[in-house]
Amino acid sequence: MPDHTQLRRATAWTRTTAVEEVGAARDAGALDETSGHPALDDGLAVDGCGPGSTALEPGRLYRRISGRDDRAWPVSDEELTSLGDPMAVEFFRVGVFPTTVQDLLSRLPATAAASRKVYLVSEAGQVSADAIGERDMRFAITTAVRGSQVDLLVSTQAGGDPQEGFLQVAGWDPEARVFNFYARFESSWVWAGNSWDALEPDSRGKGCFDSHVNGSAVMKELRIPWINWQSERATIRLAEDDPLHHDQLFQQVIGAQQLELTVRSLITRWTAARLAAVTANGVVDHPDRLLRHLFTSTTVNLTSTDRQSSNITADSPDLTLPTGFWLNQDVLFDDLRLSTQAAPPRAPAARYLASVTRFDFRLEEKFSGFSQPGDTFFAFVVPEAAHEDNEVVRQMVRNGLVPAKFAACVLMVDFPNPVFSPARSHLMRYVPITPTNAVELCGKVAQAILDAAGTLSADSPEGRFAEHWQVPDDAWRTVFGQRVDAYLRGVTERIRTESGFDDYVRLAESRRRQFRHMKLNEFELTLPVTNIPPDAPLLAMREDATVAELT
Amino acid sequence: MAKLDAYGPPGNLDDLDEFGRKAWNTFISDTVDEAIQGPDPHQVLNDSPRPQFYNLTTTDTAPDLQHAPIRWTAFPRIIKITSISDLQRWQRADASRDVQDEYCEWSVSRDDSGKINKVTFTCEGPEYWEILAQTNPDKTVELYQKFISPDVRKEDLFSPSGRYQPRNKWNNSTSHGAMHLIQPNNTLGAEIELAAAATIRRVINGEELTTQQELIACSKYGAAERNSDPHIGAGVNALARQKADITLADPVGLYFDDLSTDGWETPDGSDPKAYWTYLRGDSENRVRAVYAVPADKGFAVGDITIGGRPIEFGAQIADFITIRLTGVACRFGESTAQPHTACKEFPAVELREEGFSAAAFSASGRFLGPRPTLSHRSSRVT
Repeated sequence: MPDHTQLRRATAWTRTTAVEEVGAARDAGALDETSGHPALDDGLAVDGCGPGSTALEPGRLYRRISGRDDRAWPVSDEELTSLGDPMAVEFFRVGVFPTTVQDLLSRLPATAAASRKVYLVSEAGQVSADAIGERDMRFAITTAVRGSQVDLLVSTQAGGDPQEGFLQVAGWDPEARVFNFYARFESSWVWAGNSWDALEPDSRGKGCFDSHVNGSAVMKELRIPWINWQSERATIRLAEDDPLHHDQLFQQVIGAQQLELTVRSLITRWTAARLAAVTANGVVDHPDRLLRHLFTSTTVNLTSTDRQSSNITADSPDLTLPTGFWLNQDVLFDDLRLSTQAAPPRAPAARYLASVTRFDFRLEEKFSGFSQPGDTFFAFVVPEAAHEDNEVVRQMVRNGLVPAKFAACVLMVDFPNPVFSPARSHLMRYVPITPTNAVELCGKVAQAILDAAGTLSADSPEGRFAEHWQVPDDAWRTVFGQRVDAYLRGVTERIRTESGFDDYVRLAESRRRQFRHMKLNEFELTLPVTNIPPDAPLLAMREDATVAELT
Repeated sequence: MAKLDAYGPPGNLDDLDEFGRKAWNTFISDTVDEAIQGPDPHQVLNDSPRPQFYNLTTTDTAPDLQHAPIRWTAFPRIIKITSISDLQRWQRADASRDVQDEYCEWSVSRDDSGKINKVTFTCEGPEYWEILAQTNPDKTVELYQKFISPDVRKEDLFSPSGRYQPRNKWNNSTSHGAMHLIQPNNTLGAEIELAAAATIRRVINGEELTTQQELIACSKYGAAERNSDPHIGAGVNALARQKADITLADPVGLYFDDLSTDGWETPDGSDPKAYWTYLRGDSENRVRAVYAVPADKGFAVGDITIGGRPIEFGAQIADFITIRLTGVACRFGESTAQPHTACKEFPAVELREEGFSAAAFSASGRFLGPRPTLSHRSSRVT
């Protein structure tokens, strides 16, 4: 039996489960190569941030940036001085190397204790301990060590021997304006890099950056109902005699709705620092690294209905499927402010129930042999546009690097597919990869697309962009809003039919399969499995609310 | 802990005179007793009595007591899940007090340009104000003048016959002030009834219900669509499953738990939390708060950003507010109350003529359903 702690953990710094899916990941089109986020590859064995074969000396800080360092190296004094986050300042610089989360927290200043917030997450958190055995619950802990805003995040195993369980930390360096990422290995610590390393080609997507894809804090389930987290919508099941009841950290657990606010703010903070740095001299050295957040899905969040699947009956109220399944509402409506009168599409509960049976939904964990019929605890989990991507777009629009109309014209190329859109990522080829004047950047991209569109069909991604670009500056919000509303009306009609709902179930499963091929897919119980063949054609939504094979 | 002499007013407010305090104690104590008794078992099945709920003035609290704070987000979830975007939900939540149903209501003040300069939040139940108005009308007017506007007149608040009008012109909108809760489900009575009903354990088909949605669907003690009701119910039921006796902590009320300012930024770099001020309630039990920037700071609330977005709606702040109630549990493991093996249900009855009579309508004109005699002021209509 594999080691559970290596299979379910806060981040998949050492991969095991995903290895099994490498073969399947070759699925054509399954992964977005322009996102800059590598798909699973055969180099997994050397991808981890751990020490590798290096024997670590207790009480030392090492550096191992995956993809760059082939082994762990002792951090030099100069390097240590350059690390300005609370972990480095409060511990490593003064020669302290906490070996447990309790040790770490107890050594922080009193102000940090006052601001501490503890959260609990487990993909098996709604499964009875009798049914699955080890459930691998984790604490996420936030605290503000030097100021009023969170600057230290800890992720660690909940319960068990704290000396043995994993212990990972992200600390914000207010001078360098980056997160530093650390992990403890026995009595030593490894610095796995900082936020910028997440963006560099050699380390991107490797080690801790397979989860911290763009160098920020991460919470995959960032929206109500905060799937897998203890929250105001769900309490993680715990047996009466579970020793965790007596754990001091467990007794401090609060709802993940608070963590959402914190993580969003941390993503905003790092994105602001990043954009300020890369536009400081008016020239963007790597335009593709910024614009891929608009054109591709560098990562995703997971969302769902907030209805407990097992509690849905045929006469239950309609289900509101997650809006992020239909489109990127955060950018289109909140940031670009398309005019809309739409309401979220709602599906009859009976349609959902029938689909769970028809497609044989179940939860499965191969390594433990666990299997349970039905959907995930919260019904209809799907990937949606990542807040990390949206935040970059939002800030680029706000600071003028990307005109709002340009962003809208790009997103409207394939707005019914908010994630994994080949049409949108196809346009990445027109984005410069060499230093470009920030003021001219989007104009150049637009012109390049328009030039190409002249020789391509009107339905090509280039043709669609060109059509959008022609819409007058004072009309695009209304024109695009009307198209989006018409699309959502179509969805609202189709979702009430059996064939329409089943199409959307197949589309959801298609997107889940694409998510499974990402390194972000860390835990088998995150998603349900169905009887839809794993080699079934991938699907895409069309603007008329029908579903077709992905092309 | 010995029995309480009397329930205190929410937030230990000192507005009530001696008679008013007695009236308040009577109201809470009676409401708790009614909630313990539950509905008539001939009219509502499997929802009474509630022997694990107790009255602090008539029953001791044992030394093993534990306080169990239950917290939820102030922004109305129903609006959240029925809106297509944040912008839409903020607009809708700011449009009417009737949709602000998480035991927190607010009113927004703007300057001539439309920029927000103040947002006032309240979680004071209407019952307290009914009793205050009946026992001390002048104090009621004084408080309105202090917290809403010096222009408030007594006739604005009371009918010609002297009856207090909770939905008066100074307390019926999202722009002219919010003195206390008026959304029909935002009552202390509802809170007490919900907590009591949630002490009933449910074992259905041999399996004990534990999740929020299972419990509220079976026990029907509130609206499953809200943040508050399912969460309160599940929190209380978790204590009940430990075979404890349970009640609501004195002073019974809904309270502001906190305002998180993660991701907030002020134009001058000052701490955004500094502009959040509690106006009523003791230090542990806050019932009124305002978010406003002092005039000498040179900027307004609308200049503060959340996640880089300027505050354009009071609802944006409500996203960051947590409301709390506190349960008390004791005598863990001692309760002999048996779980119900069926869900709450109404026996089939023929709809009688009085179902359509004037009595079927509440004082506020709100339809209470075809069983007027079963409708209870403190029960939420689901």
